[in-house]
Amino acid sequence: MVLGLREFTERVGDGAGEPVLDSDNGEELMHVQHSVAIVLGNRVPVSPGTLYISTKQVVWLSDVDKTKGYAVDFLSLSLHAVSRDPEAYPSPCIYTQYLVDTLFDIFCECAELNPEPIEGDEEEHNWIFSADQMVDEVAEEGDDFSQDPTNSIGHSNGDHDLARTVLEYLVDTLFDIFCECAELNPEPIEGDEEEHNWIFSADQMVDEVAEEGDDFSQDPTNSIGHSNGDHDLARTVLELQINDQRFEDADEMDDDHERGHH
Amino acid sequence: MLFFSYFKDLVGREVTVELKNDLAIRGTLHSVDQYLNIKLENTRVVDQDKYPHMLSVRNCFIRGSVVRYVQLPPEGVDIELLHDATRREARGG
Repeated sequence: MVLGLREFTERVGDGAGEPVLDSDNGEELMHVQHSVAIVLGNRVPVSPGTLYISTKQVVWLSDVDKTKGYAVDFLSLSLHAVSRDPEAYPSPCIYTQYLVDTLFDIFCECAELNPEPIEGDEEEHNWIFSADQMVDEVAEEGDDFSQDPTNSIGHSNGDHDLARTVLEYLVDTLFDIFCECAELNPEPIEGDEEEHNWIFSADQMVDEVAEEGDDFSQDPTNSIGHSNGDHDLARTVLELQINDQRFEDADEMDDDHERGHH
Repeated sequence: MLFFSYFKDLVGREVTVELKNDLAIRGTLHSVDQYLNIKLENTRVVDQDKYPHMLSVRNCFIRGSVVRYVQLPPEGVDIELLHDATRREARGG
């Protein structure tokens, strides 16, 4: 059920690929976002990693340490938001809170914040080219964005504004996907079931009363007046009936008697 | 469904959503769905010291099940209309 944040290590393909999803129960992958760093609570960012959004949960898997990953169900995500104030956090990111009771927050921060430069980063022209291309790709599909990790944005000196715009577009897209998936996961069963049970029993009670009412009149032991103070009334009624029968019998017997004598 | 309809009428107005973890967020009601999930825009956190991360948040999605209260704008509350609507709902109409 609702588990909050949990460690997630089940990957397909020798534990190296995508997360293993519960496809038997209809879980589908909705979105994959590469080059995503994750920040848990006030800890330092962990990167690089890949964010997988399914119809049921959000999974972040480390690209480096294949045994490292986290998942949280949409049922546990109480709030998600877009954060873009550089003073609060250096880059635009998706901010989420889960399981209201635990004040443990996740930052999923998109793309670029990988602190260590990766190969190919020194070639700035390469980056600018990639960035332009990425903007187009984002506009067109938004999905396959930055599949090549060497293309990650924000690793150069200039054109920060462009990178930021792309990032903001990206987090907005992610935000929308989060919204869409959250809506796929309404509160299940527990609360609903109780309510249904309650309504069900109430209906049943009405039915039972109605049925019992019928039984009442049919079963003589349940006849009115057999309890407490009404006892006398019942006896009187019975005696009255008995007396009547006696009278009839007596009359007949008298009749027979008289006939026999005549 | 009454509350769903009612909240839909409040779209565009300023509300404060109080979560079950005591976080209170004020913002413009952007949208609401049938589960009473709420999207807010131009948000600000009432108790900013407690939730510094939320400072930078401008819009957010709140799961309906974690909402404790929604504080409404007084001008958004038409008591007569609500009376009628609740009576109608109670009659099952």
